[in-house]
Amino acid sequence: MDEIVDGITQIDCDILIIGGGTAGPMAAIKAKRKNPDANVVLLDKANVKRSGAISMGMDGLNNSVIPGYATPEQYTKEITIANDGICDQAAVYRYAEECYGIIQELDQFGIRFQKDQNGEYDVKKVHHIGTYVLPMPNGDTVKKALYRQLRKARINIINRYMATRLLTGEGRVAGAICINTRTAETLVVRAKAVIMGLGAAGRLGLPTSGYLYGTYENASNSGEGYAMAYHAGAGLANLECFQINPLIKDYNGPACAYVAGPMGGYTANAKGERFIECDYWSGQMMQEFYDELQGGKGPVYLKLNHLAEETVAEIERVLHIVERPTRGHFHAGRGTDYRKQMIEMHISEIGFCSGHSASGVFVDKHARTTIPGLYAAGDMANVPHNYMLGAFTNGAFAGLDAVDFIADVDHAAFDQGEVDAERARVLAPTKRDDGIPPNQIEYKTRRLVNDYLQPPKVTAKMELAQARFAEVREDMETGMYVRDAHELMRALEASTILDCADMAAAASLYRTESRWGLYHNRVEYDRDDENWFCHTILTKGADGKPTHRKQAVEPYIVDIADDEKDAYQNQRVTKTVAAE
Amino acid sequence: MAALFEDFDEIADLAEGLDDPSAGARIMAVIDLADSADPAAIQHLARAIADSDPGVRKQAAQALTDFDGRETAAALVSALTDDDPAVVQAAAISLTELKDPAAGDAILPHLSDPDPIKLTACFAGIKELRRPEAMGPAIHALQRPETDLRIQAVGVIGWLQDEGSLPALRDATKDADAQVRRTALAALGFSRSDHAEATLIDGLTDAEWQVREAAAETLAKAGAASCIPALRAALDDAFWQVRLKAVRSLGKLHATDAAMEIAPMMDIPIPNLRKECAAVLGELAVAESIEHLKKYENDNDPDVRKNVRWALGKMAA
Amino acid sequence: MPLAESASIVPVVVDKDLCIADKGCTVCVDVCPLDVLRIAVKDGAPETAYMKYDECWYCMPCEADCPTGAVTVNLPFLLK
Repeated sequence: MDEIVDGITQIDCDILIIGGGTAGPMAAIKAKRKNPDANVVLLDKANVKRSGAISMGMDGLNNSVIPGYATPEQYTKEITIANDGICDQAAVYRYAEECYGIIQELDQFGIRFQKDQNGEYDVKKVHHIGTYVLPMPNGDTVKKALYRQLRKARINIINRYMATRLLTGEGRVAGAICINTRTAETLVVRAKAVIMGLGAAGRLGLPTSGYLYGTYENASNSGEGYAMAYHAGAGLANLECFQINPLIKDYNGPACAYVAGPMGGYTANAKGERFIECDYWSGQMMQEFYDELQGGKGPVYLKLNHLAEETVAEIERVLHIVERPTRGHFHAGRGTDYRKQMIEMHISEIGFCSGHSASGVFVDKHARTTIPGLYAAGDMANVPHNYMLGAFTNGAFAGLDAVDFIADVDHAAFDQGEVDAERARVLAPTKRDDGIPPNQIEYKTRRLVNDYLQPPKVTAKMELAQARFAEVREDMETGMYVRDAHELMRALEASTILDCADMAAAASLYRTESRWGLYHNRVEYDRDDENWFCHTILTKGADGKPTHRKQAVEPYIVDIADDEKDAYQNQRVTKTVAAE
Repeated sequence: MAALFEDFDEIADLAEGLDDPSAGARIMAVIDLADSADPAAIQHLARAIADSDPGVRKQAAQALTDFDGRETAAALVSALTDDDPAVVQAAAISLTELKDPAAGDAILPHLSDPDPIKLTACFAGIKELRRPEAMGPAIHALQRPETDLRIQAVGVIGWLQDEGSLPALRDATKDADAQVRRTALAALGFSRSDHAEATLIDGLTDAEWQVREAAAETLAKAGAASCIPALRAALDDAFWQVRLKAVRSLGKLHATDAAMEIAPMMDIPIPNLRKECAAVLGELAVAESIEHLKKYENDNDPDVRKNVRWALGKMAA
Repeated sequence: MPLAESASIVPVVVDKDLCIADKGCTVCVDVCPLDVLRIAVKDGAPETAYMKYDECWYCMPCEADCPTGAVTVNLPFLLK
């Protein structure tokens, strides 16, 4: 295994789905059910049994809109406010209307949602008037249940192939070029429609541990979706709104103070004092977190040691069993116990992800990108605050719409020269006898991301980043060297990561105002609603570099009153609050 | 070039691996059979769950999670008396994944089993299948000495939502174990009877706060105006968690009389409680509480702020 | 070989006595999202699974899915 093999194969299908994590499987199942004759292919660079952000499972839904607990209007309003007003509500509203049907479908799949002692859904209150949290007691079996459905539907699954570029022709999508991650053989897939569900760009910033794979996001989510969409000419929205999350320092998994919050836990400073009142994630909350760390009042901690034993045990059960089960091992290794001491927290490295910020490949309420026949769903698409249920729901929208799209079209013709050029690019590191290994290209890129792009954002630093990225790119294109097919996969990821770093810098420079708290805190600029109440759309310019335009936010479907717009501002505690 | 697509092999071919002399090869055959997601694999997995090797048996018990129905349930129940505890545990977990009510046919005959581990697993498995025949054995099991068993039995009763089970549930709310009491109180949520309400009111004075919390929360579902005085008394509970549920339930019961007892609770420096009080004051919409709410219009907690503004907006309308 | 070899302690440990790779099992290799595990070969026959690439997200499918409990995922030294 891993020896480089020279080979190329071409296959045809109706719908190619790239990414077998969360959105992709749901898109495949929906498309196949709607048109059983359609040839649906699901491709993943890992194995769909355990790929994607929910590889080990998920502890619950935090954005379920269930009749009787919340309304689509309430939800759309909340999400609009959480995104500083910049979101197209149509996609959010459609999600809110249809996600309950998806919950019921997931229940049919065998994914269990918490029910009360009478067998009714046990929705937990975390947000305010609306109630959106639905725990999943067997959340560790999500992937297993999905896989079972894929097998039952007899979806054609291709594992261990990594898509590297999309093919386009006749003004629409034509397929994708892929490479086997264990043999380096090329696979060209001609498709009438392509659905991308490739997850977040999680390997963008470097975690404080310095370990390349010690990331907040699943480290296999290295941003291919963003890079492929970019090179195909699709629009990407609001990439300057970075994802930054509070986490357990070094372990780098989510601290989930919002899980502990309803039970009395909170984020505290070095004195054990509460300094933010609301632990629900937002850019403003992250700004307060950052200020506390920088202001000499840190470290910042997750404080649970004032809670009753039963409450701590319940929090531990939720936080340690699913999503990141090694968290319990981490605390055991450190000798830290929620009961005895506060747990040190920190700020994550930056990334792209629409789960917690409104950025990503631009899509409408049908999950259509700006390229006909090309869809995107999940963490990489710009429907804000998607989380897992959003990935499932928008993945379903993509699968359903793609079936309609392919009804009247044949495969688009594409330029064979594109395939030849991509093969030459992909295989170049295998043709050298010596050079720079991919891990060093990646480390340097990500170290520069931390040095120059981590907010607060400074113009001169971001321009330096661009100059240094160009140098790394030159080295990568002329000198990257791999010894086997596995390293070649890492080399292609390094290239993707560099593309994302370039986009992060360019997008951040374009929006000359501050917005979304820490996520886009440009120290030289204040908030500017007059000029910047808009999406920023990044595309690949004729010179091969990012180019930008403004795009109006679609008129709201659900009105937001003026005094509601600042809901997430001013979160700092003004007077010390005694421990509970 | 290796095979591009995942295989869809014939079940009979996959099942041949179960006859391999090596236990490792048989485990691999079990995994392949599970991945097939084809119900034709169930009979072969039922054979594997009686394999001579405990590793194969455990894998087969896990693999049956991928299937449903009577045959699957029967195989899993047979594994509950395995000599290897790991096999028993795997089978018990897989039993809770069943969804097809017909699977209950294979579980029902075992609901009087003397083995507490087997019986607990059988109750956990039949609970979500909601088979009325399980009611009698579940009520009977409330007399058993094992706590986990009684908790599962209460679960079975609660899911069946039958007013006839109220006497049994009421007895369970007097159980020696707090977890059983808490589960039984929560299980009363379906009932609309005075008996259930009286039992829940009793629960508000239980010695354990988690039990009181469950009682306060469940009164929102099973209580009527008659429980309001008891909930008002719970506003003074020593634990804020209990107070919070009492506030919420008073809101759901439209207990306008309680508004001016809830309003001063806005001053308690516990954000979770403040945000609940604000929301409930909005629901109750008693004009005198406006002054208390206005003090917190610019609260530091965005959720408190939103709830206060929502409440004030609602009262102005 | 122009590249230096640097030592690295890897987080995924496989108990050779429990591993059934010699019987054709590849479960841990199959499920790893980062594809860092491989089967060691001795005298032309599969012997045991091991962590070949130091690129682990300590996510645990290899440990959870191993049919014989042979795999243990430790936290990488750099962050433990």
